[in-house]
Amino acid sequence: MEENKQTTTTVPARLTVPWYGFVALIFAILFFSGVFNSAGGALKALDFSALLGQFGSVQGPNGAVTTFTGKAGLGARDGFLFGLSLAPSVMLALGVVEVITHLQGLKAAQKLLTPILRPLLGIPGITGLALISSLQSTDAGAGMTKAMREEDQITDKERLIFCQFQFSAGGTITNYLATGSALFASLTVPIILPLVILFVFKIFGANLMRLYLKRFSEEEVK
Amino acid sequence: MNKSLIDIFVEGAKKGLHINLNSIIPNLVMAFVFIEVLKITGLLAFLGKVFAPIMAIFGLPGEGITVLLSAWLAMGGGVGACASLFNEGILTKEHVTILIPAIFLMGAQVQYMGRLLGTAGIPSRHYPILLGICLLNAALSMLVMRFLA
Repeated sequence: MEENKQTTTTVPARLTVPWYGFVALIFAILFFSGVFNSAGGALKALDFSALLGQFGSVQGPNGAVTTFTGKAGLGARDGFLFGLSLAPSVMLALGVVEVITHLQGLKAAQKLLTPILRPLLGIPGITGLALISSLQSTDAGAGMTKAMREEDQITDKERLIFCQFQFSAGGTITNYLATGSALFASLTVPIILPLVILFVFKIFGANLMRLYLKRFSEEEVK
Repeated sequence: MNKSLIDIFVEGAKKGLHINLNSIIPNLVMAFVFIEVLKITGLLAFLGKVFAPIMAIFGLPGEGITVLLSAWLAMGGGVGACASLFNEGILTKEHVTILIPAIFLMGAQVQYMGRLLGTAGIPSRHYPILLGICLLNAALSMLVMRFLA
């Protein structure tokens, strides 16, 4: 590994989050949940799908109406146009995530999460920052995990449990909202539901690892 | 450092466009071509038949296996294969809904072995259990989604 000398800071001992951080977090959850989609009036401006809008329709063959991607496309050309049609969705999603991050919405999540990490995953609260970062970028989470092990802030067992959490659905939020957007129009459930399922199973998987490691001593997992 | 929220949003949107152009579109082109090759050669129908009994457990047609296999290599590939099969009418909206969490839960493991486990310094003898739990996560998520879809 080339990046041995990483100066990742992992000491958010006393994390202070302004009130608007929590507001931003709640907004984010509501924004992507779709609860305001069926709401009338101004509330609809708080909904992801409502703001995403739709492409104008194009006259298709036999009087049918379609979007600019057309109907019955195939192969590389169809894949390209379909990919291009996703750009607005990814841009809107990541634009909003950037704003929420700026308003410390993710810090608020970290603050709420830190005291429950020990019971929930069996890892110390200090991993909170790395955990939140890993939801945005797999590589950021990996680098911070490495740094924490080297500084002896986590044990080998805790590193394994934490890596299990990160390994399943890595870069969760970014990957789901960006790459996953290709499938959002073809879901029968609100787009936030599969995301909740991802978190449930990430936690479940990490706990399976936790259970599995109970049989071994610290020395044995080195 | 004093940026307005508008600037912040635009910055995020730029990141989104970058991901779209450099990751999503190339992956979709790859996946659509891949599915096209499987279709023209008849392999897709073959895989569909062979894996029909296993995939039926999850309420999916046999062709769904190509989504899971592509996802294991790269999430974008899995999503692309899923979108392509949906466009072809082989997968329905219910099928896509069942598959979407699994695509991510077992997604990109081949890359993440290096990028995550390697970087974090996990000894490679632990890889099988780490991988196994992810595959189990994916399988269980499909069973759960079957009832939610």
